[in-house]
Amino acid sequence: MVETCSVCETRKPVVGVYALTSCYGCQLMIATVEKILQISEAVTFKSFHMLTSASSHGKVDIAFVEGSVSTEKDLIELKQIREDATVLVAIGACSIHGGVQSWDQGLRDYPEMYEKVYGNGEIAYEGLAAKPIDHYVKVDHYLPGCPPDEREIVYFLSTFLFGTYPERKERPVCHECRLAGNPCILIEKGEMCLGSVTTSGCNALCIGFGIPCIGCRGPTPYDTASFDALAKEFKRLGKTREEVLDRLSIFGSHDRRMRQMVEKAYGGEK
Amino acid sequence: MRYLKLPHEKRREFLIELKGYGILYAPVSISEKNFDYKKVDDVDTIRFDYNRTVLPPRKYFFPPNETLFKFDKKDCRLIDAYEDPGTFVIFGMHPCDIIGLRVLDSRFIDDQPDTYYKRRREKGIIIGIDCLPDEYCFCNIRDADFADRGFDLFLHELDDGYLIRVGSVMGHKIVDACDHLFEAIKAEDISVMTRKEREKQAMFQHYENWDNLRYLLELQDSHPLWERESEKCISCGNCTLTCPTCRCYDVQDVPELDGNGGKRIRFWDSCQYREHGLVAGGHNFRDTKLDRFKNRYQCKNAYCETMTISYCVGCGRCTQFCPTGINYRKNLMEIRGDE
Repeated sequence: MVETCSVCETRKPVVGVYALTSCYGCQLMIATVEKILQISEAVTFKSFHMLTSASSHGKVDIAFVEGSVSTEKDLIELKQIREDATVLVAIGACSIHGGVQSWDQGLRDYPEMYEKVYGNGEIAYEGLAAKPIDHYVKVDHYLPGCPPDEREIVYFLSTFLFGTYPERKERPVCHECRLAGNPCILIEKGEMCLGSVTTSGCNALCIGFGIPCIGCRGPTPYDTASFDALAKEFKRLGKTREEVLDRLSIFGSHDRRMRQMVEKAYGGEK
Repeated sequence: MRYLKLPHEKRREFLIELKGYGILYAPVSISEKNFDYKKVDDVDTIRFDYNRTVLPPRKYFFPPNETLFKFDKKDCRLIDAYEDPGTFVIFGMHPCDIIGLRVLDSRFIDDQPDTYYKRRREKGIIIGIDCLPDEYCFCNIRDADFADRGFDLFLHELDDGYLIRVGSVMGHKIVDACDHLFEAIKAEDISVMTRKEREKQAMFQHYENWDNLRYLLELQDSHPLWERESEKCISCGNCTLTCPTCRCYDVQDVPELDGNGGKRIRFWDSCQYREHGLVAGGHNFRDTKLDRFKNRYQCKNAYCETMTISYCVGCGRCTQFCPTGINYRKNLMEIRGDE
């Protein structure tokens, strides 16, 4: 079993919040939760750039890492964080699934793209194709969302402070969507909604406003997302293979089953 | 049983009268094609012509999320967290949903009494209303097309009003308190009611006897249907969430930030999810989507041997609200060899 904070019974846990390649939205979300004052009294922030300029690397009990590994520098920093942390939590779409910067994962030649953007110009560090952090280091817990939901951030911290650990959400968005009292927009309007293959935790916020889910919380874990069945339904609704792949790739391009299952649904046809 | 007539022009007044007993929940329109039970402030928003609500009314007795108790690590104690909903009225329940509650009662009251469910059940006033079947309904096969009990009042629409059956002491109290709204039943009202009943019966699409279904489900365990149909399933859980008799739940401890207190919550689960069959040690009773898909059919039709009715009431929700159009009734009929 994963180690929880070893010292939370005797002293304040030391927490680090770090960002690799990302929009810093996850940090902003943590910094602005309603209970941030209570949190900052319950833990000591060793590093949290959005809250304190006195941030530095060093030993922490719990590390929250947002962002994907998109540069050599990210990778060095991530490995350092892993070495310094007892528990490492991947937080947000970039960190867990590679984020929107992974949209084209596996579809284009990276060196070619790199050259197109940077030409011969010199930059301080080498770029890498954006990858989720568990591609490089062991991740203990996953806190999905773009950005994560306030209740889940507080839940994660609370479990660590209590001396236990957070349970991973597996239910799809549909579960929360029905409970939220929304009618299904895939059935009723034929919208290309990804709720059925996307991890819940958002209370189906977008669909509540009539906007189909684009999967920002990532595919449901443990290979439970049935991309093939969903793609078949989209196909029946007249969506093209490209449209479906494009939509599923926004936040799911690193799912190893996704492309294959969509191809299966479309049976190789264009 | 006591019978009364509520003329159409007194319907509004009757509904306002009902609001006097507590919060009134009734079917309202939530989109172009869908309905759901909501708290009703304006009785004119109630839809008498609804086919089915997305969520079944069980949500008022067995809430999708509820706190079971709070705990305190320091003093090592549990604190009751039950929030009394007060008396509430559910207006407009169709016979299938009333019988669906009887299934829940059999599990949550008769079998292993569940305090949380029981306390809420005692607070709910149930006013049923008769309906006409659409293409998804097969309640007649499930013997759930007529509610003989399980309600306080039940309304049958006539040409110029409603014939009301009074089904409980509470039902008597309600009609006694506003008896100026009602008229005595006349012979022609009864003939209108029986005509409408006949018309309703003629509208169903199937009339088979499904008593052998639970045995056939066991015998047909290797039928190619399972593979074919489970491949269409996205495991979204819509079928179980919208089912009036699904009652699986999961519990979770949610601590406070003080590292000391917290609460234990329970919430609706679905057998269509991987973690439903997951137990200690990482073992899973239903490790594949195929296993999980079969389970729902088995549970609804074969796990109900102590009841005289099946756990499926034929409301048609699991088929109407399946995003990929898996037709539960058709599948069962294929298993039976009907189609």
